Amino acid sequence: MSALPEVGAEAPVQTRTPSAVDLFMFSASSWLLHRIHYDTPFTTEHDGHPGLLIHGPLQGVYLVQTAESWLGEAARLRSISYRHLAPAYLGDTLECGGSVTAADEDGVEVELWARKPDGTVTTTGKARFEKSLMRGEK
Amino acid sequence: MGVITEEARRWADREYPRFEMTVTATDIAKFAHATGETDPIHFDREAAIAAGYPDVVAPTLFPYVVRMHASALVPPDQIEADGSPSGDVPPLPTRRAMAGETSVEFGQRVVAGDVITVEKRLARMYEKEGRSGPLVFVEMEFTFTNQRGELVSRENFTRIYR
Repeated sequence: MSALPEVGAEAPVQTRTPSAVDLFMFSASSWLLHRIHYDTPFTTEHDGHPGLLIHGPLQGVYLVQTAESWLGEAARLRSISYRHLAPAYLGDTLECGGSVTAADEDGVEVELWARKPDGTVTTTGKARFEKSLMRGEK
Repeated sequence: MGVITEEARRWADREYPRFEMTVTATDIAKFAHATGETDPIHFDREAAIAAGYPDVVAPTLFPYVVRMHASALVPPDQIEADGSPSGDVPPLPTRRAMAGETSVEFGQRVVAGDVITVEKRLARMYEKEGRSGPLVFVEMEFTFTNQRGELVSRENFTRIYR
């Protein structure tokens, strides 16, 4: 089992620019019918957005993936809370990163974020990872 | 004063039916591709078994897929103009919905063949004055269990209506 990172360690930043097809696949795979993710005229005229929205839950997935690929098989996600501070639209690039804020003998607490290249944070979260004994741990 | 009417408050007391979803390897592969996963444990049964799982394993946040089906897998006449399932939309003048805060705890992982039951209740409904008018916060609580009665996940999700 590899060691977990120490307090202050930072995750490698992952850059995501979901396409219209990516947004559609996320809606379709979860049976999410909300039009603001695939119907541009509705989204701009009815909801007053400049374009299709990148799903909040998809950004949640990006945060989880950023931490999971960093911590690897050494730890498993036990809990996460995240909230959305600003909308992200089709065409936006999201830089996702995070750092360890606390560590104990069982695991680590990490803070995670997704932001646009101009620094606007769209989603921020806190998660707890605990050491796992094996990959397929029950 | 306030936009949460008595009718909306009574709506909050409703009980939601339990929903059961038999999770297939196809369901898992779709969500895994949609989110850019590349680890073969999400696509290849042999790889999942070699990694210690009984079958293809779902990405961590897969229970989201189960709760969305629980809400939205209804006949088209029960879907609102914005695509939201009618049973999810409170009778409020604030109709434009956005995702707010999500908190999730994880138990057992989901693997292909699992039968996941989700129970849903409205935990809180409250309002705040936003820059562009009233905002209504509707917090739902979801509990996911598998066919052995083990906890898979517990999630609190707040949707914001403006």
